This record gives sequence, structure tokens and C-alpha cells, in this order.
Amino acid sequence: MMADHLLEIHGLNKKFGDFQALKDINLGLDKGLMIGLIGPNGCGKSTMMKCICKIHEMSSGSIYIDGEDISKKKPAEVSKLVATVPAESGLTFGLTVTDMVMLGRYPFVDKIWWENPEDETAVREALKTFGIYHLRKKQVSMLSSGERQRAMIAKAYVQEPKVMLVDEPTSHLDMKYKLQVMEYLKKMSYSDMTVIVAEHDISLMARYCDICIIMKKGEIQTIGDPKKVITEDLIRDVYEVDSRIGLDEDGEIYVLPKKYIDAEES
Amino acid sequence: MTIASRNKTDVSSLQLDDNSDSWIIKTRKTFSRAFGRMKDDMDPGDESDIALKKKRFVIISVFGIIMALIAFFISISIAAGGVIPISDAISSLVSSIAKHGTNLNEEELYIFESRLPRALAAIAVGAGLSIAGCMYQAIIRNPLVDPYITGVSSGAGCLAVAVGAIGASIPFMGADNLYLVPIAAIIGGLVAFGITMLVAECSGGSATNYILAGVIVGFAFSSIQTIFISMAKDNFSDVMWWLYGSFAQVTWENAWLVFIPVIFLSLLSMLWAREFNLFMMGEEQAKQLGLNVKLFKRSMMILASILTALCVAFVGIIGFVGLVVPHACRMALGGDHRLIMPASIIIGAMLMLFADIVARMAMIPMELPVGAITAIIGTPVFAYMLIKKGREYDG
Repeated sequence: MMADHLLEIHGLNKKFGDFQALKDINLGLDKGLMIGLIGPNGCGKSTMMKCICKIHEMSSGSIYIDGEDISKKKPAEVSKLVATVPAESGLTFGLTVTDMVMLGRYPFVDKIWWENPEDETAVREALKTFGIYHLRKKQVSMLSSGERQRAMIAKAYVQEPKVMLVDEPTSHLDMKYKLQVMEYLKKMSYSDMTVIVAEHDISLMARYCDICIIMKKGEIQTIGDPKKVITEDLIRDVYEVDSRIGLDEDGEIYVLPKKYIDAEES
Repeated sequence: MTIASRNKTDVSSLQLDDNSDSWIIKTRKTFSRAFGRMKDDMDPGDESDIALKKKRFVIISVFGIIMALIAFFISISIAAGGVIPISDAISSLVSSIAKHGTNLNEEELYIFESRLPRALAAIAVGAGLSIAGCMYQAIIRNPLVDPYITGVSSGAGCLAVAVGAIGASIPFMGADNLYLVPIAAIIGGLVAFGITMLVAECSGGSATNYILAGVIVGFAFSSIQTIFISMAKDNFSDVMWWLYGSFAQVTWENAWLVFIPVIFLSLLSMLWAREFNLFMMGEEQAKQLGLNVKLFKRSMMILASILTALCVAFVGIIGFVGLVVPHACRMALGGDHRLIMPASIIIGAMLMLFADIVARMAMIPMELPVGAITAIIGTPVFAYMLIKKGREYDG
């Protein structure tokens, strides 16, 4: 048994039929961290997140959040420990921003129909925190991608989770909203929440994440300070891409992809 | 806005734990909440959304019930037998009920024996099909879904035609038996849904699989129905009304069989309005937020299919209502099922009452198929709403 960390993963395996999506993942994360999950498509980032929040059942292993074994917890209790911001949200059938963020309070409401006033207070606080209070009566379908992403983060925030899982939050966003969303996530990590972000923009991740977890083929390749672990060799190994990594005047690294390596040629 | 700098978080150690071969990342200090509890700085005139919703719910219920009652009284005062003032219709209705349906004068007899059961059946079927459509659309998350998507109508139609064709030869049951076609329709509808559910669940149970399974099962039953029709052309004129939908067969003997269970199940389904809202975010999010998605989906599918089967059993296949009424309610009221479910019940009931009046009155003495009338009345209204609101509507 490991020491008591906020999130502990022991020997996590996940198989889809014969395909082993995750191989023996072991991890212990303290609270208040911003974790970047990096790896090529299909390396198991999303699967790992879905195992942590119990959308997928794990094949073997165990996951503890705040000392609680999530496999023994009811779904409604798990959703108070861990919240997700999904990669994409489809049709929302006319729900307003308030309606949608209010759904994040679902696990807390014990009545059949109406939420309590404190749920509403939490929702309004979240709407203000993420700068979408003025949009609260708008339909989600009418929002821009950046606004919609902030609304989804607000939904996760009102779940008051210990761990927040964010899957590709900036994939449809322009530069400004990319920075904005990452900053909101960063701020949340200051409030005792551990935020795990899966994202393909490595420069962005290197800048905002405290720790990067690099995954390849369902296994954790490396973990560490992004400035130290993200190297041209690592990118070549994990992504099969030749890249240049540089430092800007603030000491932040940036990654320039140059050329992909054709596995069949080499 | 300042860019968050990385050294604000203090990672004290990053080590490979010797005992457990696990990565362990520790932080040295705990952080205070980055977002302190904000003081409640709502604008003074800013009403609570929950209070607003409750208010709207009350308005919809009260106003809707009044409107539905008006439609109901219009419906019982207009008939092929002649139009009487609404006040007379009400007094006749009250007096006939006071007499417990015995020793009625002519007008009371008309209202009590013919128009009242018919109006009650119209209310139930309109409400039931609308809310079943609303439930299906939410669960399947597809705006084109109607209550017949899981093959209920095809299965019901197939068996209704079958007993119409061969009914007379079933022992103990003549083809003129009042309950024969309805019972066959309920059985057929539920069997078709059962097959759909079996196929869909065996293929993973996704919403798309439900649609695909429902469509193929529906095709199969419609084809069998076509074969029955072509084999026995003359024998089933008794059930042709059923295929187009009609309230002409409704009497007291069967009206309560539709009204009580359908209204009960419709109101019952409203208990899960918030869970239907959760489904709007997709199944994974609903599951993550603590809903037992599989159980909920299966049980609501069964509930909606029973509702649909009960509705079609006695009055036949009436299209359009179940598809369009929920959309109209969503366009007018937004996506919250706590508002659109009661609104669907009321609007569906009203639309069906008016459609039945038109079906009875438009071409006296011939009665028109009510399913066609619902579409003829509903299409312009819906087209208008679509033009007005369609741009901001994604459901």
C-alpha cells in the first residue's frame, strides 16, 4: 500500500477484447497539481481518464481517490470525487448554459425535481468564475467553441471534485482561448484540485503543467518536469516525428514538429 | 490577466517508489482555494433560475389545463349530431354524470355515451404519444425520432390486420369482438419492441443500434402486414380504420382502458425529467454524473413503448403528434424536461382534441382519418415555429 495520495492507481489494466489499451499503470498524485497527459492518438490517454472516472470498468487493478476505492463506490459518489470535461459535446437540445452547468449538481440533489438554493449559488459562482455569467440564459448550441468549453469546465467545477479530468480542451480553440482555458485549469489546480489534461499541443502543456506524463502504447513512458523530460529524442520515440525544441526568453520551451518518420522506411 | 507561472506550484519530489514500482508525485504545501467564495453580487432584479422555472411550470400547468378544458368542452359540444352552446354541453355533461349515465335525455345521451369517451381517448392518446416521442427523442438523442421508431406501430398493425383477416375463425372470439383488435395490437406492438430491444442490446445497446434495430424490425412487420393484406383483400375492411387512426370505435368499454393507464404512465414518466436532462449531455456524461445509464435507458424505452402500444391499440396509428409536439415545446420553452414534458402532455392532448373535431366535422357524414388531420393542422404551425426559432435550435 502506498502512502495516502489524492489519486492512486495500482496495476491498472484495461483490455478491449484482445487489445490491451492500458498496461499496468501505477501512479500516485498529490493534490493541487496540474498534470499533462501526452502521447500519440490511441496511446491510452482517454481510456485512462475514463477508467479513473468509472465510465469504463477497469480489467484489473485498483484506483483510489482521496482514500476511497472507486470500484466500491456508487456512480453518484464517484462523480463527487472526479469530474470530466469531455473532448466534444454533441447536440444539447436547447439546454441553456445555466441548465447545463446545473446538471453538474445532479449528484448533490436529493430531491426528485428541483435543485436547492445552494446548488444555484454554486452554479452562479462557477458561471462568474469562468466569465460566462452574462451568457447564462443563452442556449449552449449558440455559444462559440471557447464559451462552450468554459461552460463544460464550469459544469465540472460545480461537481466540487477532487480530481478533474480534461480531454483535449483546446482542440477547437484559437490561440487566445487556448491560453484562457489552460489558465482556468491552472487556477483550479491552485485550489487543491488535481487537474489532469490530455492535450496534443506540447508547447502549451510544457508551459502550464507541473508534471508531464508521457504515454506510449498503453504504458507510461516517462514522468517528470516538462522542461526536462520533453526532448527531441522523446518526441521522436513517442510520436515518430523529428522536431526542434527551443527556449524562449522566459525560459519556456516550444516544440516545432519538422518531419514525420515513416515507420515502414526505417 | 497574468499568465500563471509554473513555479507557483511547488513539486517537492518526484521519485520512483522502490517498494511499489509506482510513480509518486508529492506537493509540499496545500493550496488555499484559488477562487475564494465570492460574495453574492447578483443584480438586485436578478431572479433565481429555479424560482423562475417553478413559476413557469405552474403557469404551464394551470394555463395548459384551462386551455385543455376549453378544448375538451368545445369537443363535446360539437358533433355530427349538431352543435350546441358550450354552456349547454357543460350542463348536460354535469347532469348526465350526476345521473350516473342512466335515464338520460337525448342530448345527455349523445354527450355521455359518444362524445365524452371519445374526447377522453383523444386527450389520452395525444398526451401519451407526445410524451412517448419526447422520451424517445431524449434517450436516442435524435430529433427525427418518433414513438414508432422501435417498431411498435408496425408490430401492432401487423397483428391487428392478421386478426382482422383470420379473426372470425379464432374460437371463442368473433371478429366483431370489441377487444380483439386492440389486444392483438398491444401484443404485436410489444413483441415488435421486444425484438428490437433484443437486437439492439445484443449489439451493444447504443442509441444508433436502437434506431437501426427498430427500423428493420418495423420493416419486417410492415412486410408481413402487406402480405396479410394482399392475401385476404376483403376480410379485414373492419381493421382498415385502424391503419389510418380513428376515434370512431371509442366507447365507454374501451375509453377508460386507454385513459387511465396512459395518463398515469404519462404523469409517472415526468418523475424522471431531470434524468432526461442529464441524457442531453450524452450517455458518458450522464454516467459520469451518477446515472445508471443502461438501466435508465432500458426502463424508459419499455415505459415509452408500453405508452405507445396502449395509444395505438384502440385508435390505430396516428402519426405526426409524437414527432412534432415535443419539438414545438422545446422550441418554445428550451431544453429543460421539467417544462417540456408537462407542456408536451398538454399540447399533445389539445392538438388531438382539435384534430378529432375536424376529422368528425369536415366532411359530414364521412369521418376523416384523424392521423391525417393532425399533420394537416400541425404542419403549418410547426413550419412557422421552425422559421421563427429554427436558427437557434439544434435539437
